[in-house]
Amino acid sequence: MAASGYSSRGTLIGMALASRPAQRAFLGSGQLGFGACGIPRREAYEWGVRSTRKPEPPPLDRVYEIPGLEPITYAGKMHFVPGLARPVFPPWDRGWKHPRYHRSPPIHEQPLYKEEPCYIFHQRCRLLEGVKQALWLTKTKLIEGLPEKVSSLVDEQQNHIENQDERVLNIISHARLWHSMEDIPKRETYCPIIVDSLLQLCKSQILKYPSVARRICAKNHSLSAAWTRESVLLQVRGTSGIRLSAKDPLPPIASREEVEATRNHVLETFYPISPTIDLQECHVYDLKDDTGFQEGYPYPYPHTLYLMETADLQPHRFHPEQLRAKMILFAFGSALAQARLLYGDSKVLEQPIVVQSVGTDGRVFQFLVLQLNTTDLASNEGIKNLVWVDSDQLLYRHFWCRPVIKKKVVVNLITAPGMLLWSVGHHFVLQRQPCHPTHHPTLDLPAFIPAAPPQLPVLFSEAFWPIPALPCVREPVGPVDFQPETFRKFLALYLHGCPEP
Amino acid sequence: MKMAAARCWKLVSRGRGLSLHTAAEAASTATESTSTDVATTPVARYPPIVASLTAKSKAARLRRVERWQATVHAAQSVDEKLRILTKMQFMKYMVYPQTFALNADRWYQGFTKTVYLSGLPSPPVEPEAPLDLGALRDAACDSLLQEHFYLRRRRRAPLREEPETVVSPFLDQLVVALMGLLSPQNPVLASASVDFKRPVHFYWLRGEEIIPGGHRSGRIDAVRYQIDDKPNNQIRIPKQLPEFVPLDYSVPVEIPVMKCKPDKLPLFKRQYENSIFIGSKTADPCCYGHTQFHLLPDKLKREKLLKQNRADQIEVVFRANAIASLFAWTGAQAMYQGFWSEADVTRPFVSQGVITDGKYFSFFCYQLNTLALTAQADQNNPRKNVCWGTQSKPLYETIEGNNVKGFNDDVLLQMVHFLLNKPREDRPQVLES
Repeated sequence: MAASGYSSRGTLIGMALASRPAQRAFLGSGQLGFGACGIPRREAYEWGVRSTRKPEPPPLDRVYEIPGLEPITYAGKMHFVPGLARPVFPPWDRGWKHPRYHRSPPIHEQPLYKEEPCYIFHQRCRLLEGVKQALWLTKTKLIEGLPEKVSSLVDEQQNHIENQDERVLNIISHARLWHSMEDIPKRETYCPIIVDSLLQLCKSQILKYPSVARRICAKNHSLSAAWTRESVLLQVRGTSGIRLSAKDPLPPIASREEVEATRNHVLETFYPISPTIDLQECHVYDLKDDTGFQEGYPYPYPHTLYLMETADLQPHRFHPEQLRAKMILFAFGSALAQARLLYGDSKVLEQPIVVQSVGTDGRVFQFLVLQLNTTDLASNEGIKNLVWVDSDQLLYRHFWCRPVIKKKVVVNLITAPGMLLWSVGHHFVLQRQPCHPTHHPTLDLPAFIPAAPPQLPVLFSEAFWPIPALPCVREPVGPVDFQPETFRKFLALYLHGCPEP
Repeated sequence: MKMAAARCWKLVSRGRGLSLHTAAEAASTATESTSTDVATTPVARYPPIVASLTAKSKAARLRRVERWQATVHAAQSVDEKLRILTKMQFMKYMVYPQTFALNADRWYQGFTKTVYLSGLPSPPVEPEAPLDLGALRDAACDSLLQEHFYLRRRRRAPLREEPETVVSPFLDQLVVALMGLLSPQNPVLASASVDFKRPVHFYWLRGEEIIPGGHRSGRIDAVRYQIDDKPNNQIRIPKQLPEFVPLDYSVPVEIPVMKCKPDKLPLFKRQYENSIFIGSKTADPCCYGHTQFHLLPDKLKREKLLKQNRADQIEVVFRANAIASLFAWTGAQAMYQGFWSEADVTRPFVSQGVITDGKYFSFFCYQLNTLALTAQADQNNPRKNVCWGTQSKPLYETIEGNNVKGFNDDVLLQMVHFLLNKPREDRPQVLES
């Protein structure tokens, strides 16, 4: 073990190995780990700790296998006696429940075990067939675009907040750049900040719409709703995002005729893929409908669910299709739990329940309005629920946290009167100043610098004083391609349900 | 000839640079004052005789410090100024606003040159708009009950995590609800920016000490402090709140002077990034503070202090938190406007703070009158920062089921008054009769 500290780690380990075969085995190993030395194979060591796992207990004596025979053990003698059988003791029972040493019983012995499996959708389920699968699971018909009632709120001028665009741009800059000391804040921080700030901005409309005060936000609520689809048990469970609850329910959007017309709609299947793919199959479950709040909650009606995808790495985030499916299922779950609470089970609702949902990853927004028309979901026939989806609305295309600076600079050097010496990068060209400036066709130069053919010879006049080169900023810090329409839709979804001022 | 010249040089440079410099200056000023009209007297034709820049002398060090200060004065933007002031890292004391140290508020008053006055400053005379106290009370009770009773969470949080899981969302909800209800009367709340758990940092120098050991032992060194705070919520507004008292208001109360080194508090030194941050960067238009809401952690709660036989420290915890946090916030706001210790504030910076542990609330107002806390700048500085504060009062007695018993309207009213505080431009002009 006396290896010098200056040798490489490989030789350090190599010299530390006791035997020659072990060293040879180490040096000849095919695996290469850190730097030039490799990780030795497991068989290379003759000493050392392979694992801290307890060794397996010795097998039972053969005498226990003979039925009807009573083994004579050394249990009474309290010490080992060669020749007598090894006693088998019952497992030790502490006598009381210690939270650290709790061993769950096997699945078959758990109290909630049921033969029939239940397929649970939780907040990290990424459905393979996306929206199609969500529609089949919830017996819903899809309509592209937001409903008429909400679109009319979008376009109405009186709903607009003063300086709306400027304030939304400030919110974007605050969330994407200003709120943290880092140069480029991460999505985990900026996505919730954008949603919170936009909600705060919407809430400032309380002057025009006093019923905005009859709403409250809640985080960390746990939803649970269960139903059957074609003899398959399904459940939605989870706690996801912000839930905006209201004291008054949202009015139904589709009229009775439209609801009746859904009888003729046929749900799209995707044979051979099973509709329960990507759902978690459970045998230990509890079928219950829980809105997430106790009875007597002063804001019983779910208004909007805000779901956020905050993972920094792109593979960990949901795709837009999967996010829309999750929004449909969670909105459906809240609506179903509410319906069961108010009206009981399995019938067509007189008063359909409407729940909205907004999903985002901090830049792209998905809007959704779901109307629950029926809780009779077992068969594929009959009235279906309705969902209006407005997908992939960009709030802004990109955000530059640092200005993009062009490296090749344009220097405007004034030479003798009437002559202009200009350079791009390392090339200098002299030109007689024309009467009217023109725009350079290839380079994105400001208009006052006239165009000049590059074939002119390089000339330097005697008296010229160069102006220091200014790097020209291609893209300033801030959002690119801001779309005000997206925030108007966000505001419209927020104000939906408020009576006219 | 050369020897003579060398001897001449020695004669000139052996004397203290300062005396020669001042002599030359006196001579030149004397000549200037006597000969302003007479153009015949010649002005000095040699460059000013100043101390060396690189010599190992106190004068040279002074000149280097002045040169550095000149670069700060000459900085074009606030970001550049802050960068020059904070780029050199040295060992500094980390001041924690929420601390278990005994009598921390007296120490913090010394570090920040703050005077503590009990009781809040009298609000300005203004026509009182009618307040719908019922609606405000309902909003507060709803937020309280939602978090304590109605919301069914996944896992029931253990008691020691109650502040983060129960009280923090309640505070968030309360602030948002009250802001929504009060924004018709206070339009600045509609354009305000609310931060949830964003950091606030401040770095400053105060006083001097003699370095005890190391290669610089025996030398005088400035004492540096850094506060890294994370209020539960804070409200930032685009315009400044009006001052409570004039800038040069002389408070008869003295600032407590502690006889020991800050290490005795206990306060520990570390070297890391010096940062000055109000909650958002300098480019944000909402750069002035309105109100901060702080949540005391579980280890500083009342029951624990009472069990440790430290009932007198309960109020100390609230006061220390307020003084440190509000000083850091107002100081950072002032530095964002370009003020620093050599360029003292020309207008006072005012902020409010609410410190709570979920049930007991105490209210504080802070006015920053001076940033000149370094030994050099504080020599002739009569200004002091002022902090007003109240005792902690409970918002409610108990919560039984879905009922809040013993709701205290005074505490709610005080919070409402805090939120109704608005900048001077937005106030209705008092008509002169």
